[in-house]
Amino acid sequence: MKTKVLMAILAAVIAGLIAVPWIASYFYVFIFTEILILGLFAASFNLIFGYTGMLSFGHAAFFGIGAYAMALILIHLEWPFLVSLLVSMGASALLALVIGFLSVRLNEVYFAMLTLAFGMMVFAIAYQWRSVTNGSDGLAGFTLGSFGLGLDLTLANPSVYYHVVLGIVAIASIVLYLICRSSFGMTLKAIRQNPERVSFAGLNVRTYRLVAFVIGGTFAGLTGGLIAPFLRVASPELLHWSMSAEPILMAILGGTGYFLGPFIGAAAFVLLETVITTYTQAWMLVLGIILAVMVIFFRKGLLGTVIDWWMEVKK
Amino acid sequence: MSGIGAALLNSLDIGLLLFIIAVGLNIIFGVLNIINFAHGALYMLGAYLAFTLINLAGMPFWAALLLAPIGVVILAVIIDRVLLRFIYSRDVADSLLLTFAILLMINESVRMIWGSGIHVVQPPDLLSGSVQLLGSSVATYSLFVIVIGLLLLAGLWYLFNRTRIGRIMRAAALDRDMAEALCINTRLVVTGVFAFGAWLAAVGGVMAAPMRALDPGMGDKIIIESFIVVVIGGLGSFPGALIGALILGLIHGFGGRYLPEVNMLLPFVGMALVLLFKPHGIMGKGANA
Amino acid sequence: MKNVSIKNFLVAMTAAATLGTAGTSYAEDPIRIGGMYILSGSAATYGEFAQRGIDLAVGEINSSGGILGRQVEMIYEDTQGKASVAIQAARKLAYSEGVDALVGLDSSGVAQGLVPTIPALQKPLIITHAATPDVTGNLCNAFTYRISVNVAQNMKAAALVASETDATNWTTIGPDYAFGHQSWEFFGNYLKDIKPDVNLMSETNFPRFGAEDFTPFIDRVMDSDAEGVLISVWGGDLVNFIRQANNRGFFEKDLEVMFTVGAATEVLTALGDEMPEGVHLSTRYWYEAYDNDMNARFVKAYLDAYGNPPSYNAQGAYAAIYAYKQAMEAAGTTDGPAVAKALSGMTMESQNGTVTFRKGDNQAMVSPNWGVSGPMHPEHGIRTLTNLQIFDGEEVARTIEETGCKL
Repeated sequence: MKTKVLMAILAAVIAGLIAVPWIASYFYVFIFTEILILGLFAASFNLIFGYTGMLSFGHAAFFGIGAYAMALILIHLEWPFLVSLLVSMGASALLALVIGFLSVRLNEVYFAMLTLAFGMMVFAIAYQWRSVTNGSDGLAGFTLGSFGLGLDLTLANPSVYYHVVLGIVAIASIVLYLICRSSFGMTLKAIRQNPERVSFAGLNVRTYRLVAFVIGGTFAGLTGGLIAPFLRVASPELLHWSMSAEPILMAILGGTGYFLGPFIGAAAFVLLETVITTYTQAWMLVLGIILAVMVIFFRKGLLGTVIDWWMEVKK
Repeated sequence: MSGIGAALLNSLDIGLLLFIIAVGLNIIFGVLNIINFAHGALYMLGAYLAFTLINLAGMPFWAALLLAPIGVVILAVIIDRVLLRFIYSRDVADSLLLTFAILLMINESVRMIWGSGIHVVQPPDLLSGSVQLLGSSVATYSLFVIVIGLLLLAGLWYLFNRTRIGRIMRAAALDRDMAEALCINTRLVVTGVFAFGAWLAAVGGVMAAPMRALDPGMGDKIIIESFIVVVIGGLGSFPGALIGALILGLIHGFGGRYLPEVNMLLPFVGMALVLLFKPHGIMGKGANA
Repeated sequence: MKNVSIKNFLVAMTAAATLGTAGTSYAEDPIRIGGMYILSGSAATYGEFAQRGIDLAVGEINSSGGILGRQVEMIYEDTQGKASVAIQAARKLAYSEGVDALVGLDSSGVAQGLVPTIPALQKPLIITHAATPDVTGNLCNAFTYRISVNVAQNMKAAALVASETDATNWTTIGPDYAFGHQSWEFFGNYLKDIKPDVNLMSETNFPRFGAEDFTPFIDRVMDSDAEGVLISVWGGDLVNFIRQANNRGFFEKDLEVMFTVGAATEVLTALGDEMPEGVHLSTRYWYEAYDNDMNARFVKAYLDAYGNPPSYNAQGAYAAIYAYKQAMEAAGTTDGPAVAKALSGMTMESQNGTVTFRKGDNQAMVSPNWGVSGPMHPEHGIRTLTNLQIFDGEEVARTIEETGCKL
C-alpha cells in the first residue's frame, strides 16, 4: 500500500513536470528548469554528505568547472550539446579525482576545510586567469547549437530546453539512485555510520570515499553543464564557497537521509525564494530562520518529517 | 629596504587584528567543538555598535571599545541559550549549519538596521595621523592595533597558563572527555566560553572600525580569513592562532606587494598545504605525535 | 488516499498556472517598470541610491498625470551583483510580473551576462550605472540602451585631463576585475594617442575587489618612479583606500592622482575632509555642474528628501524613468518593441542637459565630469569640485565602428 501510494505520487509529479510548459506560464518553465538542475546538484552532493558522511564545502568547484567547460566549448568549438555535456562531466570527474585523492584522507572539520580551500583555489583561478575565463565577468554571449544524436531541437527555446533538462536529470537521477541502492551505496552508508567497522571488514574505506567523491563531483559537473546554457553565463560566483553552501542547505531542507530529499529541498528553496522575495528583500533573514529551525528541530528535513508523520498517522 | 620594513609593519598590524578575531573562533572550537560560522558577523556587529556609539551617541572611542563588545556578549549569551544549546551534543556539521543560519540572520539584520551605505569611524585624535618608523610613515593607529594585539596576547597567555579558569579551558580543548569527567563542562562554562569568543570578535570589530569602511559584507570577508588562520595554526590551538594570523598577515603584506597576480590564490594554497601535510595545523593537537 | 494526493497536486498546479498568468496588463492598469539593482551585500548602497532617484521621478510623473494617462508602478528585484541572479530576475519581471520595461544594473559583469538575453524578453532595458563598453559595443542589441557614461567615454576624458599634466610615467591601482583592467586599457590607449611620449608602466596594481588593506599597493606605487596614477577603486574600497593612503602620506608625494569614480557623492559623504584637496576626481554626473530647470528641481527634491546631494546613480535612474515617459508617449503604447524603437535616436532633456541615445549603439551621449577637489562645501559636508570640466558626450565617445556594435 505504502509503495503504491508513493509510486502514484511520483508518477503524478513526473506527469506534472512534463506538462509544466503547457499548464504554467513561461516564468514557471524557468523556475522548474532551475529546480531540476539544482535538485540534481544537491543530490550529487548528498551522495558525499548524506550517504558517505563527508561534509564537503567545495562542491561548487565541480558545478562551476562543468559550467565553464560547457561555456568554453560553446564559444570556441561549437560542439553538439550532448558531447559538450560529456566533456563537462569529464572535466569535473578529473578535478574531483585530484581534489578527492588529497582530501578523503581527512575527517570531519578537516575534510570540510580542505575542500573549502580547494574550492576557493578554483574560484581564485577562474577570477584571476582573465585570458581564459574573462575574470570576474565570466563567459557570456555564447549560443546553443545542435543537440546531438541527429535530433533537431531548438535548445534556445526555454520550453524545449526545459524538456531536455528534465530528460537528462531524470536519467541521471535513475543512475544515481541505482548507485545508492547498490551494494556500493550500502557500503557508503556503513562507512558513514562506522568507518572502523567497515575497515575491519577488510574494505578500503579511503577508496570507497574517493569513488563516492568522484561520482558526486561528476554529476555536479553534469548539472554545471546544464546551468550554463540556462543562465547564459559561466561566472566565478558559480565557484564561490557560498555556491557550495547551497546544496548543503537544500539537502538539509529536504532531508539528507532520503534519495529524493535534496530534490524536495531544491524545490522548496527555489519556490520559497521566489515567493518571499516578492514580499520582502529580507529573504536571507527568512532563510536563516528556516534553516535554524530545520537544523534544530527537523534534522530529517521536510521529506523525513512528512514520512515520520505519515507513519504516525498510519498507526 | 624601506619597502620591506613597511610591509613588515603592515603584516604585523593585519596579523594581530586577525589574531584577536581568530583566537576567539579557536577557543570556541577548542572547548565547545563548534565551528562558529557567525564569528565574522559578531565582529561586524562590534564595528557597527562602535559606529553607533561614537558617531551617533557621541561617545569617545575608548568608551566604545569597552561598551560595544559588551553589547555583542549579551547577544552571544542569547544566541547560546536560545539556539546553540540544542546542538552541543551533535556533530560538528550541525554547528556549522546552525551558525551559518545565525550569520544569515545577523547580516540581514545589520543591513536593515544600519542600511547598506558605507560608514566610517574616526580614530581618536590621540591616534590619528602618522609617525616615521623604519624609514617610512606608519599610521599611529596601526601601531595602536599592534600594541593592543600584543597586550591581548599577553593577557590570553596569562589566562591560559596562570589562571584556573584558563587551565580548565585548555584542558577541555585538549581532552573534552576528561574535562567532562572532572565535571567542569557545566552550562556556565559553555556559555562563558562562547561569550568570551564573541567578546574577542567584537573587540576585533571595534579595533577594525577606524581602519576599515563599514559595510554589511565585512563579516563575510573576515570569516574565511579566520578559517584560514585557525586551520593553518591548528584548530583549537592558542599559539597556533597567533602563528596562523602572522603567516596570513605576511601573505597579505608581502604577497600584495611582490606577487599581485596570485594574491587571491596564496592564502588558500597555504591552507591546503598545511592541511595536506599537517592536517591538525602547525601547532595543533597531535602535531608532535 | 491516492486520489486525494493527486487532486491536491492538481490543485497546486492549477494555482501555480493562474499565478503565472496574472501579469497580463489592461489599459487602466498602471504601467509597470522593473528595476534590477544590487539591493543586498556590500554594494547595496548603489541599489538604494538608484531607488531614491526612481522614487522621485515616479512620484513627480504620477502626480502630474502619469504616462499615457496611466500611473507608473515600480517592481524591484535584487541582482545581488551576480549575472545569474539578474538573468533570473529579468525573466521573473518579464514573465511573471508582466512589466512593460526594465531599468537597472550596477555591475559590468551583470550587464555582460544579462544583455544578450534581453531581446528574448522583448522588453526594453535602460542601463543606469554599469559602465562596461561591451553592452553598447560587441554585445549591443535593439532592446538595450544606456543612459549613463561608459568606461570608454570616461577614460577618453581622463586621458585628456592627464595629457594636460606634466606626468609622463603612469601606472594604475584598480580593482582586480574587468572594470579595473578595462579602465587602464582604455586610458592607456587614449593617452598614448594624445601624447605619444608618455610611459605606461608595466608595474600595475590590481588589488582584489573587496580587499580591505591596500597598504602594500600604496607602498608599491610610492616606491616606484610613477608620476601619475589612475585609480579606479570605487565604493567602500575607495573609502578604505583613501584613509590608508592618507596615513602613508601618499597625497603628499609629488604625484598626479586621478580617481575615475572619486567624486561619487556617497564616497565624498563618507570621507568628509579626509578626501584630500588637489586630486583629480571624476564622476558620471556632478550635481553642481549643470544649470537647468530639471537639474535644479532634482537636486532640491533629493536634498529635501534625503539630506545629501544626489549621487550619479540616482541621477541615471531618475533620468531613465523620464526617458521611458518620453518614449512611451512617442510610441503611443507600452508595447516592448515599439518603445525600444522609440528610444533609438531619441533626444531628451535630462539633468545633465540635452541627451541623445545614439542610433548606432544605443549609448546616450552624456558627459563625463572631471574636476579637482577643492574646499569643503559649507552645507553639504563634502569636498567641492574646482576646475570643473564637462566633456562633450559625443566627442569622448568611441565611433560606432570602434564600438563593434552592429545594429
